[in-house]
Amino acid sequence: MYDILNSVINMTFGWGWPSWLISLVSHILVATILFLIAPLQMLFLTYYERRAIARMQDRIGPNRVGPEGLFQPVADGVKMFTKEDIVPTAADRWVHLIAPCVVVAPTMLMFAVVPWGPGMVPVDLNAGLLFFFAVSSISAVGLMMAGWASNNKFALLGAMRAVAQMVSYEIPAILSLLAIVMLTGTLSIVELIDAQAGLFIRSVDLPGVPDLGLGWFVFTPVGFLACVCFFIAALAEGERTPFDIPEAESEIVAGYMTEYSGMKFGLFYLAQYLLNFLLCAITATIFFGGWQGPGVGWLFSQAITPTNLDGHWIFNLLAGVLGVSYFLAKTYAIFFVMIWIRGAYPRLRVDQLMEFGWKFLIPLAMVNIFSAAIWLGLTRWGAPEGLALLEGWTPFMRWATAFVVTLGLNLASYIMVGRIYAATQAARSRAELEDLRDLALSSR
Amino acid sequence: MPNAIPLEALLAVAAALFCIGLFGALARRSMVGVLMGIELMLNAVNINLIAFWRYLTPSSTGGQTFVIFVITVAAAEAAVGLALVIAIYRAWQTSNIDEVDSLKG
Amino acid sequence: MNTLIQVSFALVTALIVGSAMMSVTVRNIIHAALWLIACFFGVGALYLLLEAEFIAVAQVLIYVGAISILILFAIMLTRQLETGRYMVTGWRLWVTSVICVTLFAAVLIPTLLSHRWNLPAPPAAGGSEQLIGPAELGRDVVFTYLLQFQVVGVLLTMALIGAIVIAFEERARRRRILTLAEEHTLQQLSTTRQAAPTPESEQPPAPSTTDRE
Repeated sequence: MYDILNSVINMTFGWGWPSWLISLVSHILVATILFLIAPLQMLFLTYYERRAIARMQDRIGPNRVGPEGLFQPVADGVKMFTKEDIVPTAADRWVHLIAPCVVVAPTMLMFAVVPWGPGMVPVDLNAGLLFFFAVSSISAVGLMMAGWASNNKFALLGAMRAVAQMVSYEIPAILSLLAIVMLTGTLSIVELIDAQAGLFIRSVDLPGVPDLGLGWFVFTPVGFLACVCFFIAALAEGERTPFDIPEAESEIVAGYMTEYSGMKFGLFYLAQYLLNFLLCAITATIFFGGWQGPGVGWLFSQAITPTNLDGHWIFNLLAGVLGVSYFLAKTYAIFFVMIWIRGAYPRLRVDQLMEFGWKFLIPLAMVNIFSAAIWLGLTRWGAPEGLALLEGWTPFMRWATAFVVTLGLNLASYIMVGRIYAATQAARSRAELEDLRDLALSSR
Repeated sequence: MPNAIPLEALLAVAAALFCIGLFGALARRSMVGVLMGIELMLNAVNINLIAFWRYLTPSSTGGQTFVIFVITVAAAEAAVGLALVIAIYRAWQTSNIDEVDSLKG
Repeated sequence: MNTLIQVSFALVTALIVGSAMMSVTVRNIIHAALWLIACFFGVGALYLLLEAEFIAVAQVLIYVGAISILILFAIMLTRQLETGRYMVTGWRLWVTSVICVTLFAAVLIPTLLSHRWNLPAPPAAGGSEQLIGPAELGRDVVFTYLLQFQVVGVLLTMALIGAIVIAFEERARRRRILTLAEEHTLQQLSTTRQAAPTPESEQPPAPSTTDRE
């Protein structure tokens, strides 16, 4: 995106401008576009979620403002703007004021590395994937500030829950992505997408596969387990329903947002929906190929790129439109799964949440890293790495062996870890019942 | 970067940060405050390492690797140190470093 | 381009030094921790200016995302937000300040100004330097520095276990707070027991209910 703007400015204003001014202006333009798109996404997602959840609960949902209630989020926004902004007397004024900004700013920064279409990434960082998660962990500080500065027990409890949850679910999220990073050998999100060309089998694993942009990681056993682990961890990071204990309205009012009103509350709301959008987008990008899909690769190969200067601009446009629509379709589909889970599952308890993360997700993610190593060895390595017996195999045989071995390993470990986890949970609830029995005896 | 800013400026920033951290570690009374000072000093060291890597040996990985190890050790130190703070608070009902003096003759 | 870098360097330096100052002098320890986070963030920005992308991201991930959260949790668990005397006073304060200022003004600054650093020749105009990225870094960590990497791994495991052992509170000494569901079950259990009293009800109180206070 930056390259395109840069060349457009170069073409328009010639070389009269100094180079630093051109790069500054194009960076600012990219940032402005993102700042315009982000709130629109948030508005659409709130509407989408309310309509979808209403369908699941056999209601209609917002349908009065505008056609099919499309302008309902705008009306809500206007309402939020006109509300009184209250700061509690006992609150720590400055920290209370800064907290919403500290929560929103990282989510905006995360947009910087999300690729929207072929050649349409705001910044292609070398360590883009790591940047995404590093920045997302900043908002935990903002939540802590909000909870503490409100000087309210509910807010503090909510903040403590939110931060403990975010910090402990970051570990399975990053561990499950580590398997994917091992397979591709890069931390750049753009290269991760490029690695997912192919048709159910990635072109990297099996040269000669037709490139329909369908070589997604979710079609391999390693990628599938990583996707499941990552998506569950993402639900917890985004405080979605089975893991929404930080703002469990039946227990602690609204969690860390209890003392916020007006636009500050709106900022928290914005940050939450943006985070959900970004988590869906990154799931779509890493496991479902991002903008990859039938046709985009061919269209983009005809377009004007730094490597192919004699392309035609119409292909740029077509590839961009098709890529962005694939990307958004995948993202919204994944967000629909989030809504679906919200409609289907009850809330977890705090200790159950921690046990699930530490005793179930993290072991599975670790096993998955081991599977990724096996996959890598079977498909890529040969005599130099000490696996001379693989030299004679055809690529298809290597791929098939890797598929079968990792599928068996992942399935077996899933069944085993699941049984152990279920057994410990059952033992725990028995022990709790025993405790209660003792308590009943002693209280008589 | 090396053309725009002299190496000495970066080293001066690191030195200032180190001295501020030292002051915090020596002057604060609460144990968490002392730990915060130590973290500042470790950050100053990391700035030095990265500055030397960038200006003297930009094509070798030694400097960055060393910083990764320092960050890891700092994380371990913070975890154990804060666990100690909590354990001491539980036993003594204080987090003031001057009041924990049972080893004083 | 150079002016841009110099301006951003000045801003980042002001952020680092200013927030570090605030962090060691401010009275409220939570505010001190928040200033410390700002300082960590500034250091991350400085790494970014120095073109060490991976280290900058790691700094944000580990310092801002983990260590500062740990510090905030420790402060809240020890509940000493505003104590009367938050800093040493009298001669100790004077000695401390003199040590720090002398170290900075008389030892560190003269040393680093008088020393001749063997700076390599700047690259030719137009040609860019070959900087290492995360890929080279990852390869060297598992080939050249493998032993150190393993030792750090063992250290982290030890720290993890050690922190849990040190901060562990025995279950029996913990105050038990009942959830609503548990209270309900308790009530039901006691009503059934009242209906048919058994000889084992003479047991002493269970350890799980003992309260520390």
